[in-house]
Amino acid sequence: QRVLHVDSKNYYGGNWASFSFSGLLSWIKEKQQKTEVSDECEDWRKLILENEEVISLDNSDKTIEHVEDFCFGNQDSAEDVEEAGALSKLPLFGSSGAQGAAQDPEKESAPVENTLPEPAASSDPASATGGNETEVTPEREGSPDPASGEPASDVGETEAPTENAAQEPKKITYAQIVREGRRFNIDLVSKLLYSRGLLIDLLIKSNVSRYAEFKNATRILAFREGKVEQVPCSRADVFNSKQLTMVEKRLLMKFLTFCLEYEQHPDEYQDYENRTFAEFLGTRKLTPSLQHFILHSIAMVSEADCSTLDGIQATKKFLQCLGRYGNTPFLFPLYGQGEIPQCFCRMCAVFGGIYCLRHSVQCLVVDKESGRCKAVLDHFGQRISAKYFVVEDSFLSESTCKNVCYRQISRAILITDQSILKTDSEQQVSILRMPPMDSGQPAVCIIELCSSTMTCMKDSYLVHLTCPSSKTAREDLEPVVQKLFSLNTESEEETENEEVEKPRVLWAVYFNMRDSSGIDRSSYDRLPSNVYVCSGPDSALGNDCAVRQAETIFQEMFPTEEFCPPPPNPEDTVYDEEEPASEDSGLNNAPEMKPEPSPEEGGSEEGATGEPEK
Amino acid sequence: MSMEDYDFLFKIVLIGNAGVGKTCLVRRFTQGLFPPGQGATIGVDFMIKTVEINGEKVKLQIWDTAGQERFRSITQSYYRSANALILTYDITCEESFRCLPEWLREIEQYASNKVITVLVGNKIDLADKREVSQQRAAEFSQAQDMYYLETSAKESDNVEKLFLDLACRLISEARQNTLVNNVASPLPGEGKSISYLTCCNFN
Repeated sequence: QRVLHVDSKNYYGGNWASFSFSGLLSWIKEKQQKTEVSDECEDWRKLILENEEVISLDNSDKTIEHVEDFCFGNQDSAEDVEEAGALSKLPLFGSSGAQGAAQDPEKESAPVENTLPEPAASSDPASATGGNETEVTPEREGSPDPASGEPASDVGETEAPTENAAQEPKKITYAQIVREGRRFNIDLVSKLLYSRGLLIDLLIKSNVSRYAEFKNATRILAFREGKVEQVPCSRADVFNSKQLTMVEKRLLMKFLTFCLEYEQHPDEYQDYENRTFAEFLGTRKLTPSLQHFILHSIAMVSEADCSTLDGIQATKKFLQCLGRYGNTPFLFPLYGQGEIPQCFCRMCAVFGGIYCLRHSVQCLVVDKESGRCKAVLDHFGQRISAKYFVVEDSFLSESTCKNVCYRQISRAILITDQSILKTDSEQQVSILRMPPMDSGQPAVCIIELCSSTMTCMKDSYLVHLTCPSSKTAREDLEPVVQKLFSLNTESEEETENEEVEKPRVLWAVYFNMRDSSGIDRSSYDRLPSNVYVCSGPDSALGNDCAVRQAETIFQEMFPTEEFCPPPPNPEDTVYDEEEPASEDSGLNNAPEMKPEPSPEEGGSEEGATGEPEK
Repeated sequence: MSMEDYDFLFKIVLIGNAGVGKTCLVRRFTQGLFPPGQGATIGVDFMIKTVEINGEKVKLQIWDTAGQERFRSITQSYYRSANALILTYDITCEESFRCLPEWLREIEQYASNKVITVLVGNKIDLADKREVSQQRAAEFSQAQDMYYLETSAKESDNVEKLFLDLACRLISEARQNTLVNNVASPLPGEGKSISYLTCCNFN
């Protein structure tokens, strides 16, 4: 089998992607503009034979709504500042890539035309690259301070005290965020890996783990009585805790130990099987603070409607994940969650998968007689044949999805100047599950990342808030943001400030993302049986949903094959000398699109970048 | 793998247009052979060679593009935590030289600031077909603050030199870094690799 992966976007991962700061700003702009892509069906209709019909795809991503961004610092000073070494992620093609420009195969290499490095030119040839406004090329090396990667000509005299960063570590200006934008890797989805979750197992089994590195979440937090506190959850934590009394320690340990082996003690909970977990906790002689910790921070379940058994199982899952890699059950990938889909893509590519970004697919071609999909037409009108097709939900057209009812995820992303719980170490990765403020509202999951996760600049924190939507993201999440953070601009803050000093929000964005998980296949209108739909991200904290989905799709296509088998160790690989030369090597220089020969057993994967599939 | 017998381990990443001979360079260096009539690279993730430099064992992990350069779709994670980059073009192919700025932009964005970059013009055995003069390439590499070398993977010209010189530079850089040891700024690669960690339990 061979895999061809085509995506109209110029980045991997769809809604699973992460962006630099400037990349995220471009993404926001694009989502706010909501330009309708003109439906250019005229030309390629001619390419459809009589015994074929067409299912159009939609390359204008409609999965993101209500995008609102806010800057709480002085933005003026940042006007002329540009990101050092930035390469805007959405310049030419983007998801509106179907607009004219992308039609011409020549264009693929066109931006290079004027970048011919002239022997005499002493100016930096990279900065001459056309078509990219946010591009600034720092002088490579030369400047000793990494923060001063900006070319003097572009930045001019902004007041940002770059050299004095050491003296004034905590004051981050918007200009600095922009300039250091490359240091940010801002995920559109916010998740953690359960250390015994399906994704970790899959990463290890498939060896895809070699492409990524991880950090432990260092703290589990709780919000109780207006205060953020750390939750002791491992045995060591409990014993060392200063916030718990001896009695509380004993009660907590007893309860946690019970949850680990609850199957052996059905008598202890079966009377409560029809009651909520919160009610069950109330009968266990646990103090209110312990009940809060267990319910909201360890089991992380709903007070109102989580059953006793579900709560016990959630607690057990948490405890089982503890201690595998550290003192909390969670891992976070360095450079962000957006690395994960790319790592799977890399493994696939190593074994022959072909990857084309900035390449959109117009439609599926269905054989009328068999009802099966036989090919796709791309934006050049090329026909690409395959046996199996995987398409992400977001590429399906409105008519295909007319009977589908989507849930939504509310997201907020903040850049802040301090941690929500200050301790000796600034480098903390924390998770806080905020109980609902009003009944009927969902709990909000908050993940705070420090700069050593390689997702934000020094002395800043990246805070992700996530919950299933009931309203717009801002309506759902702003009350929580206001509880935990200060939204004042610098000048105001000096005057006020009696209560405990909250972290200041420097920049924020809210948006709603479509949750297409859990959609029954039959809700999609007339999809051929060899077209498989994978969903976008779900709202859960872990990644089990995506892994299960990928495996299910794979098993349906190839019931006898192993899913993501371990590859041979590169150190032991013996290379076959008689490899058939499949193409004219040596002279294949230009990145031109050539029609992919349709391999006998080819699988075409379209836009399924978010899935850790092969 | 983590506890093996070496003093230094470096990740070196190859980039450049399809067909310039990236895989051939690695195989010449690591295996001492030149694969004739090779097509696009399949199955090569990275190759390893341990060399001894001034009595120290240096393990070089050399990563190949897995064919993703063909449609300019290299994953960002490929560049993460690379200690050095080898930017390769084909001296008989003007186009592969013209694309260098594009590759430099990718490096700017995704690789660490501290990465060492070497510009390599490959295929000097095909001198009669040369399209990119040595002088142009040298000037370009100077402007970009890169090391520059011409090689022939086929004739094995300069291939050893390329990797051994690079290893020397990486060693001296690593020494400086441990001396300076700037704790404040996190370095790539400080995270954990999950497969090598041992497990312990809640109790």
